[in-house]
Amino acid sequence: MPEKLLNDQIVGQIREAFVDLKEPVAILFFGSKENWEYCDDSRLLLEELVEIDERLSLTVYDIGSDIEVVKLYQIDKTPGIVIAALDGNQIIDFGIRYSGIPSGHEFSTLIQDILLVSGRDSGLTPQTRDFLKNLQKPLHLQVFVTPT
Amino acid sequence: MENPAMIRAEGVEAMEFPELSEKYGVSGVPQTTINDGDGTVVGAVPEQNLLAEIMRASKK
Repeated sequence: MPEKLLNDQIVGQIREAFVDLKEPVAILFFGSKENWEYCDDSRLLLEELVEIDERLSLTVYDIGSDIEVVKLYQIDKTPGIVIAALDGNQIIDFGIRYSGIPSGHEFSTLIQDILLVSGRDSGLTPQTRDFLKNLQKPLHLQVFVTPT
Repeated sequence: MENPAMIRAEGVEAMEFPELSEKYGVSGVPQTTINDGDGTVVGAVPEQNLLAEIMRASKK
Protein backbone atom coordinates (compact mmCIF):
# COMPACT_ATOMS: atom_id res chain seq x y z
CA MET A 1 0.00 0.00 0.00
CA PRO A 2 1.44 3.37 -0.94
CA GLU A 3 1.54 5.90 1.85
CA LYS A 4 -1.49 8.17 2.10
CA LEU A 5 -1.19 11.95 1.99
CA LEU A 6 -3.98 12.36 4.54
CA ASN A 7 -3.33 10.48 7.78
CA ASP A 8 -6.09 9.08 10.02
CA GLN A 9 -6.03 12.11 12.30
CA ILE A 10 -6.55 14.56 9.42
CA VAL A 11 -9.25 12.37 7.88
CA GLY A 12 -11.00 12.45 11.28
CA GLN A 13 -10.86 16.25 11.35
CA ILE A 14 -12.19 16.45 7.79
CA ARG A 15 -15.06 14.11 8.70
CA GLU A 16 -15.92 16.45 11.58
CA ALA A 17 -15.95 19.45 9.24
CA PHE A 18 -18.01 17.51 6.67
CA VAL A 19 -20.82 17.06 9.19
CA ASP A 20 -21.93 20.44 7.79
CA LEU A 21 -21.98 19.20 4.17
CA LYS A 22 -25.36 19.64 2.53
CA GLU A 23 -25.70 19.20 -1.23
CA PRO A 24 -23.33 17.31 -3.58
CA VAL A 25 -20.14 18.97 -4.79
CA ALA A 26 -18.28 18.20 -8.02
CA ILE A 27 -14.55 18.81 -8.07
CA LEU A 28 -12.92 19.13 -11.49
CA PHE A 29 -9.18 18.73 -11.60
CA PHE A 30 -6.99 19.92 -14.47
CA GLY A 31 -3.44 18.64 -14.69
CA SER A 32 -0.71 18.72 -17.28
CA LYS A 33 2.17 16.49 -18.26
CA GLU A 34 4.62 19.38 -18.02
CA ASN A 35 4.42 19.89 -14.27
CA TRP A 36 3.29 16.36 -13.41
CA GLU A 37 4.99 16.40 -10.02
CA TYR A 38 2.82 19.26 -8.69
CA CYS A 39 -0.21 17.87 -10.50
CA ASP A 40 0.15 14.30 -9.22
CA ASP A 41 0.32 15.46 -5.60
CA SER A 42 -2.78 17.60 -6.04
CA ARG A 43 -4.70 14.86 -7.81
CA LEU A 44 -3.80 12.27 -5.15
CA LEU A 45 -4.84 14.70 -2.42
CA LEU A 46 -8.21 15.28 -4.08
CA GLU A 47 -8.72 11.56 -4.69
CA GLU A 48 -8.20 10.87 -0.99
CA LEU A 49 -10.47 13.79 -0.09
CA VAL A 50 -13.47 12.73 -2.20
CA GLU A 51 -13.23 9.20 -0.75
CA ILE A 52 -14.17 10.64 2.63
CA ASP A 53 -17.74 11.59 1.73
CA GLU A 54 -20.02 10.25 -0.96
CA ARG A 55 -21.45 13.71 -1.65
CA LEU A 56 -18.10 14.64 -3.19
CA SER A 57 -16.99 13.56 -6.63
CA LEU A 58 -13.88 14.13 -8.71
CA THR A 59 -13.26 14.26 -12.44
CA VAL A 60 -9.72 14.50 -13.77
CA TYR A 61 -8.86 16.34 -16.99
CA ASP A 62 -5.68 17.03 -18.93
CA ILE A 63 -5.16 20.66 -19.96
CA GLY A 64 -3.42 19.50 -23.12
CA SER A 65 -6.06 17.13 -24.47
CA ASP A 66 -9.43 18.02 -22.89
CA ILE A 67 -9.64 21.23 -24.90
CA GLU A 68 -13.43 21.66 -24.80
CA VAL A 69 -13.68 21.33 -21.01
CA VAL A 70 -10.64 23.56 -20.50
CA LYS A 71 -12.32 26.23 -22.63
CA LEU A 72 -15.68 25.84 -20.91
CA TYR A 73 -14.18 26.36 -17.45
CA GLN A 74 -11.59 28.93 -18.61
CA ILE A 75 -8.65 27.02 -17.16
CA ASP A 76 -5.24 28.59 -17.80
CA LYS A 77 -3.10 27.08 -15.02
CA THR A 78 -2.18 23.66 -13.67
CA PRO A 79 -2.81 22.23 -11.24
CA GLY A 80 -6.24 23.83 -11.62
CA ILE A 81 -9.25 22.99 -9.49
CA VAL A 82 -12.92 23.90 -10.03
CA ILE A 83 -15.23 23.53 -7.04
CA ALA A 84 -18.74 23.29 -8.44
CA ALA A 85 -22.22 22.25 -7.38
CA LEU A 86 -23.66 18.95 -8.55
CA ASP A 87 -27.40 18.84 -9.13
CA GLY A 88 -28.38 15.37 -10.29
CA ASN A 89 -25.99 14.81 -13.18
CA GLN A 90 -25.59 18.48 -13.90
CA ILE A 91 -22.51 20.44 -12.86
CA ILE A 92 -23.32 24.00 -11.85
CA ASP A 93 -20.24 26.21 -12.05
CA PHE A 94 -20.17 29.02 -9.48
CA GLY A 95 -16.91 30.41 -10.87
CA ILE A 96 -14.85 29.14 -7.93
CA ARG A 97 -11.28 28.08 -8.75
CA TYR A 98 -8.04 27.19 -7.04
CA SER A 99 -4.73 27.16 -8.89
CA GLY A 100 -1.81 25.33 -7.31
CA ILE A 101 -1.38 22.54 -4.76
CA PRO A 102 -3.99 23.02 -2.05
CA SER A 103 -1.62 22.14 0.79
CA GLY A 104 -0.91 23.53 4.25
CA HIS A 105 -3.09 26.51 5.08
CA GLU A 106 -4.76 26.29 1.68
CA PHE A 107 -6.05 22.82 2.40
CA SER A 108 -8.43 24.33 4.99
CA THR A 109 -9.42 26.94 2.40
CA LEU A 110 -10.33 24.11 0.03
CA ILE A 111 -12.44 22.44 2.74
CA GLN A 112 -14.17 25.79 3.40
CA ASP A 113 -14.81 26.23 -0.33
CA ILE A 114 -16.35 22.76 -0.50
CA LEU A 115 -18.62 23.51 2.48
CA LEU A 116 -19.65 26.85 0.95
CA VAL A 117 -20.52 25.31 -2.42
CA SER A 118 -22.28 22.43 -0.68
CA GLY A 119 -24.47 24.90 1.23
CA ARG A 120 -25.23 26.79 -2.02
CA ASP A 121 -24.90 30.08 -0.16
CA SER A 122 -22.13 32.67 -0.32
CA GLY A 123 -22.85 34.09 3.13
CA LEU A 124 -22.33 37.61 1.78
CA THR A 125 -24.21 40.69 2.98
CA PRO A 126 -27.36 41.85 1.10
CA GLN A 127 -25.44 44.92 -0.11
CA THR A 128 -22.66 42.83 -1.68
CA ARG A 129 -25.16 40.37 -3.20
CA ASP A 130 -27.08 43.25 -4.77
CA PHE A 131 -23.99 44.74 -6.33
CA LEU A 132 -22.73 41.40 -7.68
CA LYS A 133 -26.10 40.43 -9.17
CA ASN A 134 -26.21 43.67 -11.15
CA LEU A 135 -22.66 43.57 -12.55
CA GLN A 136 -22.51 44.93 -16.08
CA LYS A 137 -19.16 43.42 -16.98
CA PRO A 138 -17.21 40.32 -15.92
CA LEU A 139 -15.41 40.38 -12.59
CA HIS A 140 -12.23 38.39 -12.09
CA LEU A 141 -10.88 38.09 -8.57
CA GLN A 142 -7.51 36.48 -7.94
CA VAL A 143 -6.59 35.92 -4.32
CA PHE A 144 -2.87 35.22 -3.99
CA VAL A 145 -2.05 32.94 -1.09
CA THR A 146 0.78 30.81 0.27
CA PRO A 147 0.58 27.49 2.11
CA THR A 148 2.31 28.87 5.23
CA MET B 1 -21.73 32.18 -6.54
CA GLU B 2 -24.04 35.21 -6.67
CA ASN B 3 -23.53 35.71 -10.40
CA PRO B 4 -21.61 32.76 -11.91
CA ALA B 5 -21.97 34.03 -15.48
CA MET B 6 -20.05 37.20 -14.61
CA ILE B 7 -17.75 36.30 -11.72
CA ARG B 8 -14.66 34.13 -11.53
CA ALA B 9 -13.02 33.90 -8.10
CA GLU B 10 -9.67 32.18 -8.11
CA GLY B 11 -7.28 31.31 -5.32
CA VAL B 12 -3.73 31.33 -6.66
CA GLU B 13 -0.78 29.72 -4.90
CA ALA B 14 1.65 32.63 -5.19
CA MET B 15 4.88 30.64 -5.10
CA GLU B 16 3.79 28.17 -7.78
CA PHE B 17 2.98 31.01 -10.18
CA PRO B 18 5.85 33.47 -9.59
CA GLU B 19 5.43 35.28 -12.92
CA LEU B 20 1.84 36.16 -12.10
CA SER B 21 2.76 37.17 -8.53
CA GLU B 22 5.49 39.39 -9.89
CA LYS B 23 3.20 40.92 -12.50
CA TYR B 24 0.77 42.05 -9.80
CA GLY B 25 3.48 42.95 -7.29
CA VAL B 26 2.43 40.44 -4.65
CA SER B 27 4.53 41.13 -1.54
CA GLY B 28 2.25 39.81 1.18
CA VAL B 29 -0.64 37.38 1.31
CA PRO B 30 -3.51 37.29 0.95
CA GLN B 31 -3.54 39.78 -1.88
CA THR B 32 -6.61 40.16 -4.04
CA THR B 33 -6.13 41.35 -7.59
CA ILE B 34 -9.29 42.62 -9.29
CA ASN B 35 -9.79 42.40 -13.07
CA ASP B 36 -6.14 41.74 -13.92
CA GLY B 37 -4.81 44.70 -11.97
CA ASP B 38 -7.60 47.32 -12.06
CA GLY B 39 -7.79 47.02 -8.31
CA THR B 40 -5.79 45.50 -5.46
CA VAL B 41 -6.54 44.66 -1.85
CA VAL B 42 -3.73 43.58 0.46
CA GLY B 43 -4.58 41.52 3.51
CA ALA B 44 -7.73 39.85 4.72
CA VAL B 45 -9.97 42.92 4.89
CA PRO B 46 -13.62 43.17 5.98
CA GLU B 47 -16.17 42.39 3.26
CA GLN B 48 -17.26 46.02 2.89
CA ASN B 49 -13.69 47.17 2.20
CA LEU B 50 -13.27 44.52 -0.47
CA LEU B 51 -16.62 45.48 -1.99
CA ALA B 52 -15.59 49.16 -2.07
CA GLU B 53 -12.41 48.31 -4.00
CA ILE B 54 -14.32 46.02 -6.39
CA MET B 55 -16.79 48.85 -7.04
CA ARG B 56 -13.93 51.27 -7.69
CA ALA B 57 -12.11 48.83 -10.00
CA SER B 58 -15.28 47.91 -11.89
CA LYS B 59 -15.69 51.52 -13.02
CA LYS B 60 -12.43 51.36 -14.97
